[in-house]
Amino acid sequence: MNKLINFKIDGISVEAQRGETILTVARKNGIYIPTMCYISKTSPCASCRMCVVEAEGVEGFILSCNTPPTEGVEITTNTAALQNERTNIMKLYDVNHPLECGVCDKSGECDLQNKTLEFSVERQSFSARDQLRPLQHWGLIDYEPSLCIMCEKCVHVCNEVIGDDAIEVKFGGYSSTIIPKNSETLDCTFCGECIAVCPVGALVSSGFKYRANAWELERVPATCAHCSAGCPLEYETRHASLNGADEIFRVKNNFEFASLCGAGRFGFDFDNRALKNENAFNRAIEALKNAKAIRFSSMITNEEAHILELLKDKLGVKLFNEDARKFAEFMKSYSSISSKLHHSGSLDAIKQSDALIVIGSRIATDNPGVRYALTTASKHNGAKIVYAHPMEDTLMQSVITQMMKYEVGTEEGVMALLAHTILKDSDLDESERAFFDELDFGYLYAETNIGEEELSHMMKSFMRAKKRTLIIGNDLIAHDRSSNIAKLAALIEKYSDFSLIVVPREVNTLGVSLINSLDRDEKISDVVGYNAKGDFVISSLEGADLAIPSLNQQEGTFVSIDNRVLPTNVALEFDGYTLNDIANALGIYNKNTIDYTKELNKNSGFKDISFDDLENFLSPLGEDNRGYLLDEVECAADGKLEELDDMPEFNGTIIYQCNPVLQFNNYTFKTAQLPKENFLRGSAQFGVAAKIADGDMVEISYKETKIQRKFKLDSELKGTIALNPTFDISVDASRYRFEKSKIERVMQ
Amino acid sequence: MSKVYFSTWNGEFVNNINTPQEEWKESAYNLPAQYDSHRASKAFIGWDGVALFDKDVDVIRLAMEYAAQYQEYSEACGRCAPGRWGGRILYDLLDKIARGEGSKADLDHLKEIGKSMQVTSKCEIGKTVPNPIIDLMEHFEAEFLECIDEQKHSKHYHEEVGYIAKITAPCSDACPSHVDIPAYIEGVRDLRMDDSLMATRQTMPLAHVCGRVCPHPCEEACRRTNLDEPISIMSLKRLGADWETDHGYDFFHPMQKKPSNGKRVAVIGGGPAGLTTAYYLAADGVEVDVYEELPVLGGEVAVGVPEYRMPIGKYNKDIECVKDMGVNFIVNSKINADDMRRFEQEYDSVMVATGTRISKKVYCNNERADIKGYWGAIDFLDKVNLYEKYGYKISKEEQEKNLLTTDFVDLTGKVVVCVGGGFTSMDVVRCAIRANAKKVYMIYRRDEKTIIKNTTYEEYHEAVEEGVEFLFHSAVAEMVDEENILKSLLIDKYELVPDPNGGRAELVKVEGASYIIEADYLIPAVSQSADLKLLPPEWEIEMTSWATIKTNGKDYMTSRKGIFASGDCEYGPMTIVNAVGQAKRAASVMSRYVLSGEVTLSDDEIMEDHLRKLKVYDKKEKITGWLKGVARQHSEVLEVEDRKYNNKEVNLGFTQEEAMSEAERCMRCYYIAMVQA
Repeated sequence: MNKLINFKIDGISVEAQRGETILTVARKNGIYIPTMCYISKTSPCASCRMCVVEAEGVEGFILSCNTPPTEGVEITTNTAALQNERTNIMKLYDVNHPLECGVCDKSGECDLQNKTLEFSVERQSFSARDQLRPLQHWGLIDYEPSLCIMCEKCVHVCNEVIGDDAIEVKFGGYSSTIIPKNSETLDCTFCGECIAVCPVGALVSSGFKYRANAWELERVPATCAHCSAGCPLEYETRHASLNGADEIFRVKNNFEFASLCGAGRFGFDFDNRALKNENAFNRAIEALKNAKAIRFSSMITNEEAHILELLKDKLGVKLFNEDARKFAEFMKSYSSISSKLHHSGSLDAIKQSDALIVIGSRIATDNPGVRYALTTASKHNGAKIVYAHPMEDTLMQSVITQMMKYEVGTEEGVMALLAHTILKDSDLDESERAFFDELDFGYLYAETNIGEEELSHMMKSFMRAKKRTLIIGNDLIAHDRSSNIAKLAALIEKYSDFSLIVVPREVNTLGVSLINSLDRDEKISDVVGYNAKGDFVISSLEGADLAIPSLNQQEGTFVSIDNRVLPTNVALEFDGYTLNDIANALGIYNKNTIDYTKELNKNSGFKDISFDDLENFLSPLGEDNRGYLLDEVECAADGKLEELDDMPEFNGTIIYQCNPVLQFNNYTFKTAQLPKENFLRGSAQFGVAAKIADGDMVEISYKETKIQRKFKLDSELKGTIALNPTFDISVDASRYRFEKSKIERVMQ
Repeated sequence: MSKVYFSTWNGEFVNNINTPQEEWKESAYNLPAQYDSHRASKAFIGWDGVALFDKDVDVIRLAMEYAAQYQEYSEACGRCAPGRWGGRILYDLLDKIARGEGSKADLDHLKEIGKSMQVTSKCEIGKTVPNPIIDLMEHFEAEFLECIDEQKHSKHYHEEVGYIAKITAPCSDACPSHVDIPAYIEGVRDLRMDDSLMATRQTMPLAHVCGRVCPHPCEEACRRTNLDEPISIMSLKRLGADWETDHGYDFFHPMQKKPSNGKRVAVIGGGPAGLTTAYYLAADGVEVDVYEELPVLGGEVAVGVPEYRMPIGKYNKDIECVKDMGVNFIVNSKINADDMRRFEQEYDSVMVATGTRISKKVYCNNERADIKGYWGAIDFLDKVNLYEKYGYKISKEEQEKNLLTTDFVDLTGKVVVCVGGGFTSMDVVRCAIRANAKKVYMIYRRDEKTIIKNTTYEEYHEAVEEGVEFLFHSAVAEMVDEENILKSLLIDKYELVPDPNGGRAELVKVEGASYIIEADYLIPAVSQSADLKLLPPEWEIEMTSWATIKTNGKDYMTSRKGIFASGDCEYGPMTIVNAVGQAKRAASVMSRYVLSGEVTLSDDEIMEDHLRKLKVYDKKEKITGWLKGVARQHSEVLEVEDRKYNNKEVNLGFTQEEAMSEAERCMRCYYIAMVQA
């Protein structure tokens, strides 16, 4: 089946693998075939017809983007006849295309401009009556139909890669256009990928529109600093006015292979502005000298984490980071069964899978990168996707094939049932087998609310699968029983063909967990906060006692969900102090923060490579050449499964800590373009149970926490769990995300 | 053969210009010279050329209107650069000439853009729309030049002229349900399964069923065959339906249900024809009651087609989809003549879709229904399927009648002989294998090639793999019983003797070659006939010579006003897709009939019939612009040992990768045909 097909392009012998087309083989071999509608990460749009080629013995032209080669065929990519037809197509594209390049955002990086020049279309022999086509305002996105060439790239990415399926082609000959699907206006997650792929100025960012010309902007390759997917992006900067400071004008991405969510694309202005304040700096040094602990968040680079670790030794302080500590503990338990440090999966593995289980995460908003990978798997591989969670998510309906709705708190039981089902015929050792034999299934089915039938339906749907992946979310990591859950996950990975991905909560949770030795957070005084709460706060957020640069103002590295060490760069200069300055003052000397890149913890798999030696690009064929993959590290397999605990019960009104699309944290909250809807969202049933109505101001209380929010009825939700956003507050990351809460109406 | 004034259809050149009408040469094709009973056609223009039936045709406007259809009608259009702009330019230039403002350069531009469209367009519409336009420009150059030189409008430019257009494709034309096949394949190719499914459901509500068990006559008319192998059209259909089911979506209906118009229709029979009638009538705002004799819905596809070919869980989704349109179902309700008399009063119209549920005899000696072991195929399959799919057990009395000792069909140790050759007989023998029969024979008068032609290659080979022994060129001559219990069968052997005059070969019995086989069961599955006792005799409903209800095959009304018939009880035992096609058409006619009391066809339906007569598929056509030899995909089937003794679905369907590769092979052979009437 996987036999190579040998054929020739322009006299050169080439070979194709199964599934490759003439165009993909040509590109691989550096042979140029022009296209206007082709995009590597989707199925061929096949609308531009520019990629026609000739084949020996075939009358007429064949389309190279969607035709697989046949053995021995001889393809010619460039003849006078082909050139003539391609030129005619370019002439057609230019018919009635408004000559407003001077004010078009796309000018200078426009495929239509480029190809018009390439084909030397200097005169036009065709004409058609023009039509009135008004501009559409779709929030963060503007659509100008008169500029649209109907290549359909936007429609393909929206459906096949993102999964919103929010736009479609309205058929109708010359008046064909792109319209929102099943809606008056665009109703989507505003990832903006349609803008990215648009070859002309038809789909543009409304926030960027008319602000700058493409050629004026400086491009800074970086890694997105909002979640752990580690998406590549480029910040584009320029001085804001004649003598103004530099600003980030927009974010672009290599859309040919990578994707970006709306927070990454539109939420770029979270930079921090400060000058060197010596007084504050000295107080910070003092505070650290007197500190018992440093509390920090995972929104930092590996190098910053490393410096903090050095400070810990130097100053004899404790390090608090509950998010990374919980993750590290989870992975420690995982390693005690798997005998290795890192999970086996990656976003690419998800994209290639055809059977997947996602458990314990509202993944579409927790990690859009994982969501897009799932969409790709679903659309391109027809993947069967089980989504195990106490709440449905309408964003996931088009990709999931089975909703496995379990009771809040019963994750350990659900994992035991999944492991038991998946490992039914596996060659477990005696004690492992005994663990499963001793399970009280009646109890588990009843408490988790997962039936035997659901599990067998899952196995049946996975029957034909060739590549399987298990994706584990934060509800399992933050769970009281996370240690045993991690062991069950490791067991599945060890004995089945499932690969495993544990989704880190923050951008660099994984990196911090590998670099720092963390202590359990205690409510003590004399804590210095580093991008976190403390008695003295050093932070890139507002209200800091000492300001430091944000992640788009630093060079350094993150560790992504793929276990890849990714470099990021300075988009905007920061004029104040950095952690390295503090460390220098405290006697830990290095000139630059990135001098620590090659010193990162080798025991965790980091390599001895300096920052400046790290590559940071995707190859023309899409290979990821950014940074490096962590080395695998062997661990002692000394873990044993523990007996299951009693399943906890969650009754009454429950909230789930979960952000809306386009929001992640205090940094995305800072940005100008991203919507900041911080409602408590719940179903009508929740409203009844909590005795609150749409629009009520309510107080949510659990433990010592009290949060005030406006309640919003959401017809897409069911049940008595409401969603509480966290991007505008600080949350205790060590806590399980479901909270039994008291909800009270607050009189206004 | 049609009388034409001028024709370039399919490469012919008939030119009767300046010839007296009596001497006109005829076209070799069935061109729609007469549009309908009261309108003659003046011109017919399509993908393959143009035909004029009248010399008064304004050819410039004809070309212009044809180009306009490309803009208006085509679902394909706007999806490629040459088509989107080229189509508009064609139209604009032709209109410019027709209104008297054209120049000679416009003629050159028309030819140039036409050529670009012919070689680079995405689908056949774009490639073929220029064909007749260029024909007209060539053969009626003088008329074009006259308008240009004198800057005057074409002869009927400002008049009201009727143009009726239709989009078709060879596969859709050959499909009895006229499913928009290129559209649902495009849905798969674009990974937009909702679009794919809705394209199917426009004319075919049973997407799960016809994505699994359709004999796919469309594939016989697939243009890709002219290049290499036909597209696996049927298998691509189930993707949309499976996707909807897998993701737990509400039903994607291709139309919005209209508000109730207060009209009521009774449908007799809940099989494919009944379900289809109900679906489209309900969508049109008619209140529909479906009466079903059996305790379960679905007709023969439910109780005839076995689980391993058509899982009932999937079929039930199709049935739920019909229900979701707002149809009322009444099961366990056998309708008799009195009911029918009442229905005629109570309802605005009645559809009879009762199928053919009486197994015909094999016509051998001693063929008696009271011999135990003689078991009609329909009843046999009923018993198997009602138990396997729904858990209905067989009563003591029925067990005894059919020599059973269990409350389900268990044939352990038994020898089963089935006489047939069609789908029903295949279902019988394969069910017999699954019921653990010791030996299963299929007796067939003709040869292997014919049985494959009458069923499918897959069906036949799967049966052979599972252990069915096929006895070709054989027929049962006599049933041998002992005390009314079947013991053995006398089988005659035949051979095919070619007709020396070149006629059809004849089957001749081979004397002395007859033999006896031991048999516990003889299951006749030769054919079925309709049970039409429900028709009141005084209605004197006209019947066909093979005892089915007679209609004109276009509007499906019987000889009694307001009583319609579709499916097998009208056509005789035929395919599901045939029943659906008839019922879809009938529903459309009925939905107009209940409002107006008149039986009419829409323009779209008239065109559909014209094109069917003309035949859209041309197996001799040479294909250009496609690379030959891209292999047809085959979906995985369960291994024999995995499927032989259970009801697991045998055909696993395409993987996404296979489906996408297969969909990419589709050449999107849409065409536009237009009549000036």
